[in-house]
Amino acid sequence: MPDGAECTRRKPTFNTLAREEAFRNPPKNGSTYSILNEFVAPHIESFNALFDDSGLPSGDGDGRGLISLGVEDIGERVVFDGDGKVENRGWGNRMRIWIEAATIARPMVPDKDKHSTTRKVFPSEARERLTSYRGRMTIKLCWTDPYGQRHEMPKDCGLVPIMVRSVRCNLRGMSSAELVKKHEEPEEFGGYFVINGNERLIRYLILPRRNHVISLIRPTFANRGPSYTQYAVQIRCVRPDQTAVTNSLHYLSNGSAMLRFSWRKQEYVIPIMLILKALVGASDKEIFEGVMMQDHENTFLTDRVELLLRSFKMFTLKTGEQCLEYLGDKFRVVLGTPEDWANGAVGAWLIQKLILVHLTNPRDKYRMLLFMLRKLYAVVSSSCCADNPDSPQHQEVLLPGSLYGMIIKERLEETLNQIRLNISLDVRNGVTVDFNDKKYFQKVLAKVNFDIGAKLSNFLATGNLVSPTGLDLQQASGFTIVAEKLNWQRYISHFRCIHRGAFFAELKTTTVRKLLPEAWGFLCPVHTPDGSPCGLLNHLSRTCRIVTAPLTVAHIPSVLAAHGMTQSFTSSIDGRKNLCVQLDGRVIGWARPAVAKQLATNLRIWKTEGVNEIPLDLEIGLVPEFKGGQYPGLFLFSTRARMMRPVKYLANGRDDQVGPFEQVYMDIACTPEEIEVAVSSHVEHNPTNFLSILANLTPFSDFNQSPRNIYQCQMGKQTMGTPSTALQHRTDNKLYRLQTGQSPVVRPALHNTYAMDSFPNGTNAVVAVISYTGYDMEDAMILNKSAHERGFAYGTVYKSQIIDLKDVPGATKAAAPTLHFGLGRDIIHRHGDRAHYCLDFIDADGLPFVGTKLSTGDPIAAYIDDTSGRTKFVKYKGDEMALIDEVRLLGSDAGDSELQKVQISLRITRSPVIGDKFSSRHGQKGVCSQKWPAVDMPFSESGMQPDVIINPHAFPSRMTIGMLVESMAGKAGAMHGLAQDATPFKFTEEDTASEYFGEQLLAAGYNYYGNEPMYSGITGQEFAADIYIGVVYYQRLRHMVLDKFQVRTTGPVDPVTRQPVKGRKRAGGIRFGEMERDALIAHGTSFLLQDRLMNCSDYSTAWVCRTCGSLISLGYEDISLGEVAMGASSTLRPSGPSGEYCRVCRAAAELQDERERQALAAGQAVPPTPQADVRVAISSQHVLGRASKGGDLDIVAIPYVFRYLCAELASMGIAVSLAVT
Amino acid sequence: MSNQQQQNSNPPGGRYGAGFVPPKEAMEYNCADCGATNEIKSREPIRCRECGHRIMYKKRTKRSWPFLARFCLPTDIPT
Repeated sequence: MPDGAECTRRKPTFNTLAREEAFRNPPKNGSTYSILNEFVAPHIESFNALFDDSGLPSGDGDGRGLISLGVEDIGERVVFDGDGKVENRGWGNRMRIWIEAATIARPMVPDKDKHSTTRKVFPSEARERLTSYRGRMTIKLCWTDPYGQRHEMPKDCGLVPIMVRSVRCNLRGMSSAELVKKHEEPEEFGGYFVINGNERLIRYLILPRRNHVISLIRPTFANRGPSYTQYAVQIRCVRPDQTAVTNSLHYLSNGSAMLRFSWRKQEYVIPIMLILKALVGASDKEIFEGVMMQDHENTFLTDRVELLLRSFKMFTLKTGEQCLEYLGDKFRVVLGTPEDWANGAVGAWLIQKLILVHLTNPRDKYRMLLFMLRKLYAVVSSSCCADNPDSPQHQEVLLPGSLYGMIIKERLEETLNQIRLNISLDVRNGVTVDFNDKKYFQKVLAKVNFDIGAKLSNFLATGNLVSPTGLDLQQASGFTIVAEKLNWQRYISHFRCIHRGAFFAELKTTTVRKLLPEAWGFLCPVHTPDGSPCGLLNHLSRTCRIVTAPLTVAHIPSVLAAHGMTQSFTSSIDGRKNLCVQLDGRVIGWARPAVAKQLATNLRIWKTEGVNEIPLDLEIGLVPEFKGGQYPGLFLFSTRARMMRPVKYLANGRDDQVGPFEQVYMDIACTPEEIEVAVSSHVEHNPTNFLSILANLTPFSDFNQSPRNIYQCQMGKQTMGTPSTALQHRTDNKLYRLQTGQSPVVRPALHNTYAMDSFPNGTNAVVAVISYTGYDMEDAMILNKSAHERGFAYGTVYKSQIIDLKDVPGATKAAAPTLHFGLGRDIIHRHGDRAHYCLDFIDADGLPFVGTKLSTGDPIAAYIDDTSGRTKFVKYKGDEMALIDEVRLLGSDAGDSELQKVQISLRITRSPVIGDKFSSRHGQKGVCSQKWPAVDMPFSESGMQPDVIINPHAFPSRMTIGMLVESMAGKAGAMHGLAQDATPFKFTEEDTASEYFGEQLLAAGYNYYGNEPMYSGITGQEFAADIYIGVVYYQRLRHMVLDKFQVRTTGPVDPVTRQPVKGRKRAGGIRFGEMERDALIAHGTSFLLQDRLMNCSDYSTAWVCRTCGSLISLGYEDISLGEVAMGASSTLRPSGPSGEYCRVCRAAAELQDERERQALAAGQAVPPTPQADVRVAISSQHVLGRASKGGDLDIVAIPYVFRYLCAELASMGIAVSLAVT
Repeated sequence: MSNQQQQNSNPPGGRYGAGFVPPKEAMEYNCADCGATNEIKSREPIRCRECGHRIMYKKRTKRSWPFLARFCLPTDIPT
């Protein structure tokens, strides 16, 4: 603009000043970036749901937390002080034991500590002190004495890890400014646990959708037993406390069905008829009508139901009560119900606790079982298809809080069982058991482990589930991961990742890994690792939510009934003409297809408009009738743990939430232009919503070949960026930091939304695409040496070393420590020239000076051993120069013990060197091959020199056009001072990106296409071609040569094989393997082969017997006093010049002499001598020294392992013979 | 206070030979929570006198570094 007067002020696009202000003065109310609190909401809210004061809406329940619900479901345990024998007063006194309330407190300083001004403990302390962030759990244990009098006692259950920023965390509800005061980041969003100083989180896990019947066809079902077939239907039922029981209904080839469930990891099957009768005492006619539903022409169905009814006749059980008693009789042993219960009560308990546990009413259970039966027969008759359990349609999420609650519930249940077991053991062993004696009860409690906190800490620290029931999960390990703060992108991805289950990782079929269209909008198609976890470890799409709050749905059946739904108790419903209406796995009614469709539409309008109090998160899955398709019905879901995502409902223009079950039968347009009238029902709020956060951050990702976007999602997570803004309060094992991070010129709109500028991840670089030096072949890149000197991609690695005097050798387990940090009196010279060398590094307190430079082997700390009175040193083990960044003195929990543990942060400088890995944001990685002097770099007409040169061959096969567009956009943005919007799907065929940015380049005085004439830095001549040069954001990846280089000439060898050891850490070699050997053989480079495999490996020389060829029969004779003549024959024994001889041959020869003599005496022929089993020829060139003077042994060069092999074979009775020619 | 410390820090008295007294130089540390400077002698509990916090940072050294200039040059990076 020529005259500044007319120029209107453009709005800043980089928001530099606003960001600086936010850094200086973090908001005092609320957080800087509120969206960050939203995307971890499922973690935190599911944890909050454990407690009665969760802050979540109460829904249909009374707002109690999962722990309270679980405690209620555990019920009571009953124990008797008699042994049940009639002659000794029967069962005797009855004692009921139960838990009434379980509470978890916020993390607090222990009561011992009298000095702290604040009782609260904050997560930063747990991180810095390498402890866990835990709160105390207490339960109220109740029991009755023989008079029925209730007693109660509070019981300490140890310290339970608390999720950061949850309702039990002391950071709850803090603003950014307060968080910074508590040494957290202003953007701290929590959702993880601090365990031993590490941040660990429970990963989302995909589970079968709860309370919904899915049909399965699996050939393996037929192997379950005789007459089992491949058909089954399955339902995963979830109780209000989020614990689950899976019930399967197997079809038998005789037409009947068996119900399968598991109890304490043991599977049981029961004929379905037994359950149906036991539930409501149904007559045969009732069951027949219930399954047939007036479809009497369907002979397939009638035949099977008839068989089903007939096959049950052999049980001769007529009434429901008989069935319950039968069940109770059979299951009494395994269930552990009170001994004085009647069989009928045990049977009823079994049905209540294990069959369709999401329903409480037996009539509801009965109706649901009939539905399952009908669906099973439909699958068998192929009138509907099997459901795909790998499709997100039939999946939900295992929420961290739910899993945590399940473990707590199970542990509480176990403690009750333990108490009961201990008492009954005492009764059986004849110990005096007195229920009136409180002391006795205390004694029993002392034997029971109440430390639930330790169990939970162990679960979080290892991810291993130690459980007697298995919690209805398919895996027992791998539930938790470390939230690595490598950089911001990696860190936030941890909270959005969702795993299919460890079980599927070892599955040979790849069907579970497939990207299904049903996953659209819920799981990101781009953000998954390649390699072994590909497709199993997914990431949630950006807008995908997980429902964590209970909904109010109790009124829905009556609302639907008022709008035309036939209620479920109606007796005569035609199953052919009516669809089943279910709410959370409960049959609430029946409706004709047209009515069902109308009901679904009504519900959707109501829920989007808030009419009739229909909650927005209700999922309305209308499965239309379709021959051979999914089993039809109207399925409503209101429970938690479902994935939902926002879209716009076209009928009224309101926001709607859709779930993966209903989405399959919807038509959601991606953009408003795509809406087809009378077809589309919804439209996406944003066409990029189906991508995960990271996939959204790739600029112009719609221009790239899709695998390149996958690679960028991975490389973004390996970038050396800015892990944290509270670096000085972190004690991570390893942290990578980019010193010169920049805000990218070209970035998608979401870059700002997700606080990416607070954690810069790379540097804007001037990139020229030119083949210039010859050092940029095969994805190598040239770095401008001057750019490097200006600090381009300069990084630092922070490592931490922990010195715990409890763990060093010489530590005592006694209460008073005998090791103390400090310099002892044996360090006499403290000053002057004769000062002890350690004083260069270590202060008088035994800790290193902050800022000291260390190299390998330097002392990093000193401690005095009281027993010997001497000073010992802890050495710095790393092989790089490091600087002491911070020394933390860690006290004990109560702050009452002396220094025993220090944490030392070491800073290692890592300026970019040749061999370090870099990448653009388009999956274009490369290794720095040269740092080219600036004078020799090519330059443009304006005198610009590139920071980075890459080879043009990087583009044609990879087709990362996005990078080319970014280069142009970056160049134009840098010239105009614009932050370029790189959101995908913004340009079209008519309005192209190259035109848009080309015009900008023209306006800045550049070529329209982004290329420029350039001149050789060496000759100064103009290149024949114009060079494509622009600004691209470059990431420095954490893979650096300094961590990788491995070289050895000589070094440690394996003691057994005498071959070089492996492993970089141990100064080992790199394996020259079979395929490498093949290559050398193919090339005929035998000298090299010999050199690699023999001379540089386990070359050794060995004596071999020329007669018998044995390698392992060397014996030595002491010939220092001349040759010896000994033995029975008294002849001179042949031996080598140094007395070596073959023990085998000498023994054989002596034996031979003996035998010949005996043969001579007996007048028989001489028997043949035994031969070796394996013969190996050794060519003469390998025979080094031929012993000449009568000795029978030669020296040969052999690999040492060969000798080892011979010895091992000899131990198995196999002799190896070398033929020395 | 100091009497008490004397007892605490040297409990087994004569066990480790007569005359063995650990050096009693007080060092200065910064509290990780409130930032207050604390003088803590060897074998004293790690606890801030101001706020009772249980983490201390070692202070940056004040002694002179005759060879400090060496660090400023990027010469120790292998290329």
